[in-house]
Amino acid sequence: HAPPLLGTPPRLLPSPAHTAALSLAWRLPGCPSSPSVALQALPVAAPPPSSSAARQLTPMAAAPVASQAQAVLRGRLCDPAFVHSRLRSSPDTNYSKLKYLVSSSVSEACNNSVLLLGPRGCGKGAVLDMVLEDLKEEHPDAISVIRLNGMLHSDDNCATKEIARQLCLEHQLSFSKMASSDDNTEFMIDMLRECGLAHKTVIFVLEEFDLFAQGKQRLLYSLLDAMQSLTSQAVVIGLSCRLDADQLLEKRVRSRFSHRKLLFVPSSLDDIQRLMEHLLMLDKDSSLPTNYVTEYNSRLTSIFSNKKFKGVLDSLTDTDATTSNILRFLFRVVSYMDMESGFLSMECFTDALSSMQRQPKMDSLQDLSILELYILVCMNRLEDKEQKSYNFNTIMKEYKSIQDAYKTSDKYATTVCFRAFEHLLDRELITFADTKGRNVALEYRPVKLLISSRELAQSLKLNTTCPV
Amino acid sequence: STPSKPAPTPTPRRKSKPVPYAPPASPATPSAVRRSRRLLDTPTKDLSEAALFETPAKPKPAPAPTLKRKRAAPSPSPKTPARAEPKRKRQRRAPAKRAFYRKVVYDGGEFAAGDDVYVKRLEGAESDAEDPEEPEDCRVCFRAGGGVMVECDACLGGFHLRCVRPPLRRVPEGDWACPYCEAEREGRAMDRPKPPVGKKIKRTAKEKLLDSDLWAARIESLRREPDGAFWAKVRWYTIPEETAAGRQPHNLRRELYRTNALGDIEMESIVRHCFVMSPKEYRDATNDGDDVFYCEYEYDVHWHNFKRLADIDDEPETKEDPSDEPYNAANDYNSDTDEDSEYDEEDEPAARCSARKNQSNEKILNSWKGRIYGLQKIGIRKIPEHVRCHQKTALEKAKATLLLATLPKSLPCRDKEMEEISTFVKDAICNDHCLGRCLYIHGVPGTGKTMSVLAVMRRLRSEFDSGALRPYCFIEINGLKLASPENIYKVIYEQLSGHRVGWKKALHYLTEHFSDGKKIGKQANQPIVLLIDELDLLLTRNQSVLYNILDWPTKPNSNLVIIGIANTMDLPEKLLPRISSRMGIQRLCFGPYNYRQLQEIITSRLKGINAFEDQAIEFASRKVAAMSGDARRALEICRRAAEFADYRVKQFQQVEQTSSSANSGNGFVCMADIEDAIQEVFQAPHIQVMKNCPKFGKVILAAMVHELYRSGLGEVLFDKLAATVFSWCHVNRELLPGYDTLLKIWQLQAW
Repeated sequence: HAPPLLGTPPRLLPSPAHTAALSLAWRLPGCPSSPSVALQALPVAAPPPSSSAARQLTPMAAAPVASQAQAVLRGRLCDPAFVHSRLRSSPDTNYSKLKYLVSSSVSEACNNSVLLLGPRGCGKGAVLDMVLEDLKEEHPDAISVIRLNGMLHSDDNCATKEIARQLCLEHQLSFSKMASSDDNTEFMIDMLRECGLAHKTVIFVLEEFDLFAQGKQRLLYSLLDAMQSLTSQAVVIGLSCRLDADQLLEKRVRSRFSHRKLLFVPSSLDDIQRLMEHLLMLDKDSSLPTNYVTEYNSRLTSIFSNKKFKGVLDSLTDTDATTSNILRFLFRVVSYMDMESGFLSMECFTDALSSMQRQPKMDSLQDLSILELYILVCMNRLEDKEQKSYNFNTIMKEYKSIQDAYKTSDKYATTVCFRAFEHLLDRELITFADTKGRNVALEYRPVKLLISSRELAQSLKLNTTCPV
Repeated sequence: STPSKPAPTPTPRRKSKPVPYAPPASPATPSAVRRSRRLLDTPTKDLSEAALFETPAKPKPAPAPTLKRKRAAPSPSPKTPARAEPKRKRQRRAPAKRAFYRKVVYDGGEFAAGDDVYVKRLEGAESDAEDPEEPEDCRVCFRAGGGVMVECDACLGGFHLRCVRPPLRRVPEGDWACPYCEAEREGRAMDRPKPPVGKKIKRTAKEKLLDSDLWAARIESLRREPDGAFWAKVRWYTIPEETAAGRQPHNLRRELYRTNALGDIEMESIVRHCFVMSPKEYRDATNDGDDVFYCEYEYDVHWHNFKRLADIDDEPETKEDPSDEPYNAANDYNSDTDEDSEYDEEDEPAARCSARKNQSNEKILNSWKGRIYGLQKIGIRKIPEHVRCHQKTALEKAKATLLLATLPKSLPCRDKEMEEISTFVKDAICNDHCLGRCLYIHGVPGTGKTMSVLAVMRRLRSEFDSGALRPYCFIEINGLKLASPENIYKVIYEQLSGHRVGWKKALHYLTEHFSDGKKIGKQANQPIVLLIDELDLLLTRNQSVLYNILDWPTKPNSNLVIIGIANTMDLPEKLLPRISSRMGIQRLCFGPYNYRQLQEIITSRLKGINAFEDQAIEFASRKVAAMSGDARRALEICRRAAEFADYRVKQFQQVEQTSSSANSGNGFVCMADIEDAIQEVFQAPHIQVMKNCPKFGKVILAAMVHELYRSGLGEVLFDKLAATVFSWCHVNRELLPGYDTLLKIWQLQAW
């Protein structure tokens, strides 16, 4: 098998738990927050053949300059503060609205609760982080942030404990693990009061807010109820991708919740293009040589006005227009940069797009041998016959019947077929139907297909070596 | 003995309003920070000093040698016991014991716990032979009396109206600075008038205090030592110059900080009364003489940080008060010196324990035996300027009063219900045999159930304080804040006795208490009012918790009243018959507010603030009344609308900062703002998200609807869906998306 350019992903679809753990890893406080963990794992592709014009322009110094520029661009893409820094100036963005909300409750000593809603990857967390960072600078020593995540702290006792721990950490108090949850709740309420008296605002950030809205919602109730007392000064910020998150709240809790909602939506096409310009254009006063920067920028502007580029952008945003997707795309674009000349070309964008739109299942189907395809076809036929459960032996029977019916020449021994079968299992195109019966021999364990008949048909059509 | 109030300065003096006023870089204090020894010392030293003062071991404390007493004594020696007689005779013991008093007449003045007094410094550094109660001289003619005087807000000097150049007709409104301070502020040199030769400038007690030649303190308790000397335990006040942060630009001239340092002083060193007031009292007290001070913050001497004084600060203290320290001391301490010293140690937990605790850091835990330590550490190093110097606009004021946390001055629209609750509770308390008393209050969230009950209890409390009511005990429990229903026994028992036990033991004790009349703690036979909020949370499978609790009032000598609050109307009917027969008799319904009531609630809160259009309020209250009748919701909507308006105004100001065009008409909350707020509260944002979702996402949604209609089933398989999408794309000549891409979008959109 010729390995594809970027390598086949080990699993076709990463399991939800896996992605969750990954996203947690960079959102939790303490870990260096960089969303680039996933991005930097990408192997950098070999540069496409360089253009001759560039070589004429800067014959020798190009390579170090190019790698320098690439490093600058990558650094920008991995820095959420830079990505969203454009939002700071304009008044109608979520950034300024959120900042107004939080800062007014800091300076006017009032309590608030806000929900940030929107699909994943729209920059809820990034914008919030920026707001908090800015406010911490504006009001030093007056803000303490408590971060909770619904995936980890949806249990009430655990959440109050975590709140107590983080409060102790913020104020350099020592924390006892032995305290009961009653004690912790009491401690939290006392702390809220004391902080309010000291003009300090406590900001609770609840990520995956919908997961807190399960069960009796004791945590939310006691948080929001504590905020009803005069002396406290706190803000509860919930982040959720469930749009009806506030409807999940119990009626008592909902009545105490002040319904501020900020909606984050994928940005429009114009915004995306402006974002790309913001991210890819190099500064005049950077450390890079000036003539290189001007040349680079002029080439980029010509690409941006290109009609083909519009097509690329359209097909990108047709599937997913969230900011995180755009960033992933641009990272690939930068990785495809021509290292000899150090310029981005149209090919970079098209290549990046095609690498974004890979069909991993299709690719692995096309790499299969004839025998493996035979086995898949047999399984498909069995499913068409509405046979619920089948194993390797039934498949072999079906294979025999095909052999008999069409009298083909390529007939393989059962051991060879079994090897092919095992290989399919490894590639996860088929899998076992149930998890029990681990001690049964492989041949007798029931299996099932992981691809649809349509995909199989399409791949057979595309496969040139397949006998028709 | 006539209580002689410290005679206020005969001339009415105008005082500045407590609007934070920033004098330019300390005009009146030439020596920038003059620190006293008291605060420069380390806490341990401080303690040793205090210990020197206490001297419990010495039979005769007599700190008189250190205290140079040079007052031109208008009174005979205060040590004569005939002079110092306790006002309330509570001496039931031999005079050899330590006695605590609430009020003491000493040296012609009446001092009570909770009063603020001037205290002499130890060395009596500049003890002029002068009577501190003498009225202040005018700064120009150096004569006292003879007309109205006005006080400069910067240097606090007094001036006759006629002495000022140009002369003033009446006391000016707002801030006023004397010509000398004005001149200093502008940088001009202007000599202050020198006093006539031979006449010494007399300084009033206030000036001495502000120059840290005198101390101020608040009396915490008064006692008489076995030897007959009168001592007071005091809490010190400090002036801004003596704090670590120094005087900050927003400090008022008459501002003091309350510290958490306690000290024992002899009554002899007390000079006379002064009046330290909270911001609100200070605002009202414009003509109360010279000895008025302003105090908003507490200063922690160990951690050097500030904390706002709570508005309802007195509550816990007054709670302790009726448990009567005099009784306590007299009855329980049958006086050895050993016990006394023990008592002493127990008595000073705040100052000493905290000092000790700070040194050994591991004792500060988030909870240690149910008590929380280390909270004194939280406080801000410097009081942020924006808190004090910010002039609130009408919109911001409106936002503040609309906060859910703000206690309204009056509770409109719930008079009938409150009347009913208060007669119920009063009946129960006043009758000697209250049997089977239980009130069930129900109503949807946000209709003021808990608030009304608490307001009634507050009113009863003030009635009790004025002596019109028997003592009772009030316990408040919230069902949602208990970790498990059984914990309620624990909480009740802890509140009654102050001890923590497991819930089974607590249940045992409580049942004994209520059925057999066994004592718990000291308040044996006081009636107990038990308020259980969110009663439905106490439901267990066999409903035993509710049964136990509701069974107690039926016991003959239980003296227990229960008020239960829940949302559902028919909660008693849902319960077992034996419980509902005990609970469901007396009920009170809090119906949802109608729009007039909501309107009244909002307008009563916004009284005096001109920020809302009347129509806007009516619109909001009508909308909410139609939806839920939840007062919280209505207030929140109005607050949100005010926020929108405020945001608009601020953005506008930012844009227009340079051109500075008048935009006074813009600061009103209008219908559009309310409309926006209601939209945000009541509408789910699905439509907007769908509008913005990528093209294939929309296609998938459409295909899904199509499939669902076609099949008539409740769910659809992805396989079928993909087939539909592909066929549509084929027909419309769209670029076919890959199967895997489609799957990815599908996963993304699966909200």
